[in-house]
Amino acid sequence: MSFLLKCPNCGERSVYEFRFGGEVRQRPAPQAEPEAFVTYALYKRNIAGVQWEWWYHRGGCGEWFKANRNTLTNEVHQTLLPKDEEQRG
Amino acid sequence: MQQPQILFEWNGNSVTAKPGDTVASALYRSGVRIFSYSYQYGRPRGLLCLTGSCPNCMVNIDGVPNVRSCTTPARSGLSVLAQNQNVYRGFDSPAVKRFPAAPPLSESEHHYQHAYLQFDVVVVGGGRSGIEAALASAERGMQVALLEKQPALGGDSVHPMVTTFLNCTCFGLYEGNLLGAVQIDYARPNAETLLHLRAGSVVVATGAYETQFLFANNDLPGVMLSTAVLRLLHQHKIVPGKRAVLIGDPARCSQLQAELEPAGAEVVASLPIGSVVSALGDDHVTGVATATVTYDADVVVMCGPLVPDLGFLAGTSLESVSLVGAAAGPGLAYIPPPSAQSTDAIACLCMDVSGRDVAETIESGMGHIELIKRFTKLGKSACQGRMCQTAAVSLCGQVSGQTIAQVGTTVARPPAPPVSLGVLAGMRHHPVRRTPMHYQHDRLGAVWMDMGDWKRPRYYDSAGTRNQAQCVEQEYRAVRERAGIIDVSTLGKIEVKGSDAGRLLDLVFTHTFSTLPIGRVRYSVLCDELGTILDDGTISRMDPQRYFLTTTTGNVDFVQQWLEWWAAAGGFKVNITNLTAGLASMNLAGPLARGVLAQLTDCDLSSAAFPYMDWRQAAVAGVPATMMRIGFVGEMGWEIVVAAEYGSHLWDQVLEAGASVDLLPFGVETQRVLRLEKKHVIVGVDTDALSNPYEAGMAWVAKFDKPDFIGRAALLHMKQNPLERMLVGFEMEGSIAPPDGSPVLVDGKPVGWATSVRFSWEKRKVIGMAWVTPAEAKHGTPITLRSDAVDYFANVVEQVFYDPSGQRLKM
Repeated sequence: MSFLLKCPNCGERSVYEFRFGGEVRQRPAPQAEPEAFVTYALYKRNIAGVQWEWWYHRGGCGEWFKANRNTLTNEVHQTLLPKDEEQRG
Repeated sequence: MQQPQILFEWNGNSVTAKPGDTVASALYRSGVRIFSYSYQYGRPRGLLCLTGSCPNCMVNIDGVPNVRSCTTPARSGLSVLAQNQNVYRGFDSPAVKRFPAAPPLSESEHHYQHAYLQFDVVVVGGGRSGIEAALASAERGMQVALLEKQPALGGDSVHPMVTTFLNCTCFGLYEGNLLGAVQIDYARPNAETLLHLRAGSVVVATGAYETQFLFANNDLPGVMLSTAVLRLLHQHKIVPGKRAVLIGDPARCSQLQAELEPAGAEVVASLPIGSVVSALGDDHVTGVATATVTYDADVVVMCGPLVPDLGFLAGTSLESVSLVGAAAGPGLAYIPPPSAQSTDAIACLCMDVSGRDVAETIESGMGHIELIKRFTKLGKSACQGRMCQTAAVSLCGQVSGQTIAQVGTTVARPPAPPVSLGVLAGMRHHPVRRTPMHYQHDRLGAVWMDMGDWKRPRYYDSAGTRNQAQCVEQEYRAVRERAGIIDVSTLGKIEVKGSDAGRLLDLVFTHTFSTLPIGRVRYSVLCDELGTILDDGTISRMDPQRYFLTTTTGNVDFVQQWLEWWAAAGGFKVNITNLTAGLASMNLAGPLARGVLAQLTDCDLSSAAFPYMDWRQAAVAGVPATMMRIGFVGEMGWEIVVAAEYGSHLWDQVLEAGASVDLLPFGVETQRVLRLEKKHVIVGVDTDALSNPYEAGMAWVAKFDKPDFIGRAALLHMKQNPLERMLVGFEMEGSIAPPDGSPVLVDGKPVGWATSVRFSWEKRKVIGMAWVTPAEAKHGTPITLRSDAVDYFANVVEQVFYDPSGQRLKM
C-alpha cells in the first residue's frame, strides 16, 4: 500500500503519514438497543469498492478528515474536513 | 601511475584483482572455475550469466550469505567464501543437505539507510536506451533519476537535470508510482540505502536477460551464456577459454565468433540447439556431444533466448510505464525440448529441478504452470525464475500441446530481485524520552526501566547494592511513614478547551464533567462502545471552558486522537492540545508531605482549604505550579505540575525541604506495591483489551445519570447481566511471589491469571490481583497460582489491603 492521500490541510502525502480510522458510520441514537451498538462497533460493511472513511494526519497537521476511496484500486476520489460535509460529491 | 593492488581472500587463499574487477572476474582470472555447489545435489557450478541474473556465482562475503560476486566490485580485505561446499555430490543419490552456514548476525558494521525522493521521471536501467530516454526528458526540463544496477553507465549521461544512481537495483513498482530501489555503497560493509522514489512517470530500460538451453549437463562449469562471455571479453579483458563451442541462433553465434577469434579463442563449432545432446566433463566442461559427433572444448557458449527483464514490475499493469530498448522486446519464446536422451538437463539451477522432473510432473497430472512450480520448487529460489521460467513454460507447452500464451507464467510479486532484510528495516531508531528530572534520578542512583519510549526509575539504588527488595522497602517505608516523591512526568497531559469542552468530555468519559466545579479533580475512565476500558486518568476543571486531563504513560497519543475523532465527528467546538512534553510533574505523598510542601508554598494546604480531589494554582519553590490533591499510592499527596523547564529545580527543592523528615524519592516498583495495597488498577497491567469496569471492580465509574456517553448501552447491559470474570485481590499462603501473569487454577482447572503479585509490607504477606471466574470471587476462596510447574496457594481477599476507608488520603 503506497498510494497518495490528499490531506485537506497539507495536500498530497504518502499514505504512511496517516492513520486509518475505519468506515464512516452513523452512531445509533443513545436510546437504541444494545444490539444496535454491537452492530455499529463490530459489524463493518467491508465494501469492495468505493466508500467514505476516516483518516488522521498523524505525521502532519493532526486533523481527522474523510476520504472517498476505492478499496480495490486505492484510488482516492475526494477528501474533505467534516465541517465541509456539504461539499461531498 | 601504478594502480594500488587489490588483494582479497577466497576460501582463505589470497587473490589479486585489477581495478574494475568484480569479485567474480578477479576469481575467474585467477583460475577459479567452480564458484558454488548446488543446493540439492551439490553439483559444481561456474559463471553463467555475469549479469546478476543467475544463482551460480553467489558467495558469502564478509559474513553476508548469497551475495552475487559478479555485481560486487573487488575490494581489498574482502573475505569471500564459497557456499554449500560440503554437500554430497551425486545426481541420483540421496543428498545430504547442508544449508549455508549461518553467519553470526553482526551488531557492529552495517549502514542501512532510507531516502525519500521525488522526480518527474525515473528511468530504470542505464544502458543506451535508458540514457537516451533520460536525456530526452531532461531536455524537456524535467527532473530525471537514472538508476543503473552496475557500477557504471553504458554511456555518457551528463546533464544537470539528470541524477544518476549507480549500483542501484530497482526491486518493485508500487501504487502511486512509488519505486523501491536499493543502492549499495561497496566501499563499506553492508552499506545499503533503500530509495523510496516517487515518480511522475516511469521509463523501464532494464534490457533483457539471457536464459539457458536444455541439454544434459547444461549446468557444468564452463557452459556459459553469451552475456558472460561478452562481459569477460570487453569489460575485464579476459578470454574465457581456448576452444569454444557456440550453441544457438546462427546469426548471434557468428557475431560472437567474430569477437572470440581475434581475442585468441578458437571456435570449434556452432551448433543449432536441437542437435546438442550433452555437455561432457566432470567438474568442468571438456566437450559437447551431438547424436553423431563429439567436439572437444573448454568453454561452451549458449546464445540463449532473451527475455525482457521486467521482474520488478510484477503485480503492476504495464500500461502505467513506458518500456524502451530490449525491455520492450518480445516476451518468452519457445526453446526446443531436450531430446529423449537429455532429460537430465537442469531446468532450475537454484533447486536442481531437471527436465525429467518437470516432464514427470506434467505426466502425473499437474500440468498447470503454478502446480509445476509448487510440486518441483522450480522457480522458487534466488534467481526468481529468470533461468528456469522459459524452460518450464516451454516444457509445459510442449507436453500439453499449448502455446506459450496459453500456458502463461506463474504469478510474481515484488521484490525482484531479492532485497536484504537489513535495508528494509533501515537504521536503528530507538528514540528515548527523558523527563526533565532524568539526570537528577541518575545522580540519585536510579535503576532504569523502559516504559514505551520513556526511561523511568524502577527504584533508586544510592548505595549501589543492587538489592531491589531492600531499596524498595526503604522507599515504601518513606512513603507510608514519612514522605516520598515520584517523577510522574511521563503521564500523558492533555488540555481540552472551547465552548463544547464539557459536552465532549461528557460524551467520551463515563462521568459528567460539564457540571464539575472549577477547582475540582475527578478520576474517570474512557470506554469504547462495547464498554471496554481504553484508558483512565484525572480530569481537572481549570476554567468554565478549559479542562486538564492526565492519561496513562503509553496512551496519550491514542487518547488525544480518540478525543479529536469524536470532536471532529460531532462537530464539537474544542481545541485539544497534548502538553506532555511541555510539563513536568511529580507526586509528593506521605503522612508528612504537607509539612514538606508547606516549606515551599504560601498556599493553604489544610484539608479545609484544599480538600482531597481539589486543585490549586500557586507559586511552589518560586515557580508557578498547579497542585492536584490526589492519591494513587494511598497516602495524602499532591501531584505538582510545572513547566518542564522548572522540573529539575522543583525536584531539588522538594528533596531539600524533605531532608529533615528523611523524604526519599521512589520509583515505579515501589509505586506498584503501594497502589497494589490499595487495589488501584493500572490500565494495561491489570486490565487487557477486553476488560470492562464491572469486571475490573470499578462498577462505580459507570454513571447512568446522563442520557448518553460512549459505552453507556454496553455498560447498562453488563450491569443487568452476569459477569464472565472478575478481577479480585488475593493473599499468598507462602512467602514466594510467582511472576505476574501466572495462571490461576481451581481444582486443577485454569480459571484465570494473576496480573500483579508483590510482597506487601503492610500485610507481611505476598498479595496480588488476579482474573478469576465469578464463582471464585468470594472472600476466602482458595486458588492456586502455577509457575514452572510448581503450585502456590492463595486465598481471595475482597477488601482493600491498606486503609480500606481511605481516611489517610483525606488527613
